[in-house]
Amino acid sequence: MMRQKGLAGCVAIAALALIGLGPAAWAADAPAVLKLGTLYAGSGAFAVPSTSEHEGLKFWVDQVNAAGGTYVKALGRKVRLRLIAYNDRSSTTTAAPLYNQLITQDKVDILVSDFGSVLTSVAVPIAQTHKMLLFDPTGTGAALFSPDNPYVVLCSLPTSAIWPYALADFLKKFEPVRRVALLYATNDFTGSQAATLRERLRGSRVELVYDQGVATNTSNYAVLLHNVEAARPDAVIEFGYANNDIAFLQGLQASGLKFKMVFAIFPGQLFSLLRKNVSEAGLAYTYTYPTPPLLAYNKVNYGPGLEAFLREYRQKRGEDANFLTVAGYNTGLVIGKTLATADKLDQLALRRAVEQFSGKLFTLDGLFKVDRSGAQVGELLPVGQFLPSGNGVKMQVVFPFALATGKPVYPAP
Amino acid sequence: MLKAVLTGVATVGLFALAPVFYANQTLLFSAMMYLVLAQGINVLYGFTGYLPFGYVGFFGAGAYAGALSVLRLGLSPVLALVVGGVVAVLVGVVLVPLLRLSGAYFAIANLAAAQALYYVVSNPDLQALTNGPYGINLAVAYNATASYAAMVALLGLALATVVYLRHSRLGLALRAIREDRISAELAGINVVRERTIAWLLSALLAGLCGAAFAWYISVFYPETVFSLNVSIFAIVFALFGGAATLAGPIVGTLVLYGLYSAIGISQPEYFQLIFGLVIVGLVLFLPDGLASLSERAGFEVP
Amino acid sequence: MLAYTLVGGLLFGLYFGLVALGLNLVFGVMRLVNLAHGDFLMLGAFAAYWAYQLFGLTPVSALAAEVVIFSALGLALYYAVVPRLLASSDPEMLSFILFFGLSQALQALAVIAFGNNPRSIPATVFGRAPVRILGQAFPAAWMVSGVVSVALVLFVYLYLYHSRLGRATRAVMSSREEAMVSGIDVHRVSAAALGVGLMLAAMAGAFSPFMLGSIEPGMGTAVTTVSFTVTVIGTLGEPLGTVLGGLVYGMSLMLMESYLSSWANLLPYLLLIAIMLVRPAGLLARRARYA
Repeated sequence: MMRQKGLAGCVAIAALALIGLGPAAWAADAPAVLKLGTLYAGSGAFAVPSTSEHEGLKFWVDQVNAAGGTYVKALGRKVRLRLIAYNDRSSTTTAAPLYNQLITQDKVDILVSDFGSVLTSVAVPIAQTHKMLLFDPTGTGAALFSPDNPYVVLCSLPTSAIWPYALADFLKKFEPVRRVALLYATNDFTGSQAATLRERLRGSRVELVYDQGVATNTSNYAVLLHNVEAARPDAVIEFGYANNDIAFLQGLQASGLKFKMVFAIFPGQLFSLLRKNVSEAGLAYTYTYPTPPLLAYNKVNYGPGLEAFLREYRQKRGEDANFLTVAGYNTGLVIGKTLATADKLDQLALRRAVEQFSGKLFTLDGLFKVDRSGAQVGELLPVGQFLPSGNGVKMQVVFPFALATGKPVYPAP
Repeated sequence: MLKAVLTGVATVGLFALAPVFYANQTLLFSAMMYLVLAQGINVLYGFTGYLPFGYVGFFGAGAYAGALSVLRLGLSPVLALVVGGVVAVLVGVVLVPLLRLSGAYFAIANLAAAQALYYVVSNPDLQALTNGPYGINLAVAYNATASYAAMVALLGLALATVVYLRHSRLGLALRAIREDRISAELAGINVVRERTIAWLLSALLAGLCGAAFAWYISVFYPETVFSLNVSIFAIVFALFGGAATLAGPIVGTLVLYGLYSAIGISQPEYFQLIFGLVIVGLVLFLPDGLASLSERAGFEVP
Repeated sequence: MLAYTLVGGLLFGLYFGLVALGLNLVFGVMRLVNLAHGDFLMLGAFAAYWAYQLFGLTPVSALAAEVVIFSALGLALYYAVVPRLLASSDPEMLSFILFFGLSQALQALAVIAFGNNPRSIPATVFGRAPVRILGQAFPAAWMVSGVVSVALVLFVYLYLYHSRLGRATRAVMSSREEAMVSGIDVHRVSAAALGVGLMLAAMAGAFSPFMLGSIEPGMGTAVTTVSFTVTVIGTLGEPLGTVLGGLVYGMSLMLMESYLSSWANLLPYLLLIAIMLVRPAGLLARRARYA
C-alpha cells in the first residue's frame, strides 16, 4: 500500500511540475499595462527572419513605452505595453502549446504570431477557438484566411498569391522576354507564387519553357541550373526562402553559367544577409521584389517615414534594419492604430477598428488594406533590379512603369 | 497487476480532469501525445529490444490518413481516428521485413522508412491527393474538446496495452525472446509472430495518436507530423523513465516534458543546451532509467 | 547533360564518402552510433569559415588546424563518455540517445556562439575559372573537394592497413573481446578512432560550403542522415566500403536530380531500405546481421 502511495506521489509531483509552469497569472482587471504576447524562433529554419521581425516589434514597444504608452481610445488615456515572448525554435509542435500559454496563462491582451506561414498556421485555429484577434505580421499563405474567421489580420505583407502580379505583368510587357524558366521551392509561400505566375502567364506571348518545383531544403542547385540552361530561357524566376536563394545564387556564380535575367525573392527582403553570402558581384543585375528599406513609400500618414525609422533604429540598436524589422515594426503600428481606433477593448471590437482604417492607413510599409478574410491586399510588390554602383550595388525599380526609377539592364552583361 | 491498473487509472484521470484546473490545454494535450508515443515505443523497445528510430513515420501516416479521410471522404473525425490507426498498421505490415534486421541496422532502416514516407507524402506530384508540401487545413472538423477527449481515451488504450503485455503470455514470450531468442524458440515460442504482433500494436498506437493530433491541431504541414524530433522525444522520454515498465515512460514523459516546457518558457536561450546535457548525463549515470533507481531502493515498479 | 551528371556524381560521390567515413569508423570500432556526427561536421565548417574570415586561409590551408583541434576533441570526448557508455547494458542503443543529447547541446552552443545567420565561403576562393572535364564546366571548388576526399580516403587506408595502430584497430573491429585478450590496448585504439572520426567529419565540413550549401548551426541533422545512408549502402562497420556507398549515393542523386528532380529526395532512403533488405550486410559485407 505504501508503495502505491509512493508511486502515485511520484506521478503527482511530476504532474505538478508540468502544471505549475510559467509565471503565475496576475490580476488583469485594472489594465495599468496592456500585454502583448508573441513567439519568435531563436534557432532553426526560420530563425533569421523571425528574430529580425521580433526586433522590429520590440523596437516599436520600446518606442511607445519611452513616450509614456500608446493611446487607447477605449480607456481614454495612454497605456504602457508589456511584451511577453517565447522561443518556439522554428517548430510548430513547440509553438502550439506556447501560443496557448500566451492566451490562457499569461492572458495577453494582444496576440501576435511568429514569422511566416508555417509558424503562423498553428496559431490561427488556437486564436479562433479562444476568440483572440491574431495580428499576423508575415504569415501570407492563402490557407490561413477564410471569410468565416474574423480573428486574424495580416499586417505587413500582401497574401503570397498576389505577390507576383507585377512580376507577371512585367514579363508579359517586356518585349525581349519570350521564354521563361520557373524554379520554385515547394512550400506554401513560394508554391502559391509559382501557381499565380503560371496562371497569369498562361495564354500570353510568354512561354513557360521550364517549370520545376524542388524541396524547400534543397541546398545544391548545380544540376538544376544546368537543366534550366538546357531550356534556353530569356528569364529565370527562382522562388524560394532565403536559404534557397542563397544556394541558387551561389550555385549560379560557381557554375559559370550566365542567364539574361534572374529573379529571386530574398535579395529584396534580406539584402545584407544575401550580400554577405553571395557578394555584390553575385547580386548585380539580379531582379527582385524591392521592399523597404530598398524601396521608400513617400506617402506616410501614420508613424515615422522610412528614413526617420532607419536612422533611429541604427542609433538605438547599433545595426541596420532589414525588411523584416520594418515588417515587425509595422505590425506594431497597426496594433497602435487599432488601439487608438477601437472604442472597446474586446477582440471583435479590435477587428472592427481594423476595418475602419483599412485602406486609409499609409505607413513606411505602404498602404494597409485587408479584405473580408483579414488578408492583406494593400500595396503590391513592384519589380526592381540591382545595378553595380561603385563597390556595391544599388536598387532600381523597373516596374510598374509609373514607379520605375530606371530601365532594366537586359540582357545582364 | 492491481498496482499497474491503479497507476493507469490515476494517470488517465489526471489528464481527464486537468483542464478544469489548468487552462493551457494544448500543453496537456502535447504531454498526453508524447505519453502515448512513449508507451508505443515501450511496447516495441521494452518488450522486443527493437528501437524504432523512425517511429514518427506511423504518427505522420496516421495524421495524414485521418485528416484526408475527413477532407476527401467526408468521414466523421472519430471514424477518421480509426482510419489513421488502420493505415499506420498497414504501413507496419509493409515494413515487417525490417524486423529481420537487428540493433542499429533496424533503427537506421526504420528511420529511412519514415523519411521516405515523408518525401512521398510531401511530394508536389501528389498534390491532388495529399496536398503535397502545402499542408492540411482541417478547420471543418475542428473541435478542441472532443479531440482532447479522444486523446484521453487513447492514453487509456496505450496504458492498457502495456499492462496487458506485462501480465500476459504474449508479454512473457516477448521478454523471453528478448533475453535469449534461441532458448525461446526451443521452448516453442513463435518468434516471428510474437514480434510482429508487438510491432503492429506499436504502429497502431502511433497511428491513432497521429490522427488525434491532426484533429486537435487542425492546421499542419508534412514537416510537423514527420519531424524526427517526435521519435526522438518519445524514445528519450521512455528510456529516461525506464523501458518495459508501465510507470517508467509515464514518469519519464511528465518529468522531462515538464522540464522541457518549463526551461523552454523561462530560459529559452539555454534550454536546448540544458536539455542536451541532461540527456547525456542520463545515459551515463542512469542508463536504465528512473525505474532502476526505484528498484534499487527496493520498490517494484508497475 | 549525361556527361555532366556523371562527372558531377563522381565528384559528389567522393565527397559524400568523406562525409560519412568518420561515422563508419567510429561505428566499426566502438559499435557506437554517433548521431552528433553531422554537428561535428558543422563545427568543422565554422572553423574553416573563421579561418577564412580572420586569417584569409582557404579551406585547404585550414585543414592542418582542423586536424589538431578535432582529433584532440575526439580524444577528450572518448575518455569523458565512452568507457562508461560501453560498460552499460545496451551500449549500441544507448549511444543513439547519448549522441542525440550531445547533438542538441552542440547545436545550442553553435547558436549561442555564432548566431543563426547562414554563412558562406565564396566559391571563387579556389579561382574563378571553372574546370573543364569532358567538355563540361565544373566549379573549381568541386574539383578541390573531390581531390581532398581522395587524399583523405588514402590516408585512412594507410592508417588501417599499413600502421601498427591500424592493425590493432582492425583487430578491435573484428572482435573487441579477442583484441582485449590478445593484449591490445583497446581504449587507446578506440580513442584514436574517435579522434580520427571527428577529424574526418571536420575536414569534410571545411568543404561543405561548396558541396552542401551555407553553414548554419542546424545543418548537422541532415548531414547525419545522409551519412547513415551512405554508410549503410557501403557497409556499416567497414570504413572503406563508405567510399563505394558515397559513389553510389552521389551518382544516383545526380541522376535523379537531372531526370526526376521532384523525387530526388526520396531516393537515398529507398536505396537504403532496398539494400538493407536485399543485401542486409551492405554491398561489401562478409558477415550477415539478421536478427
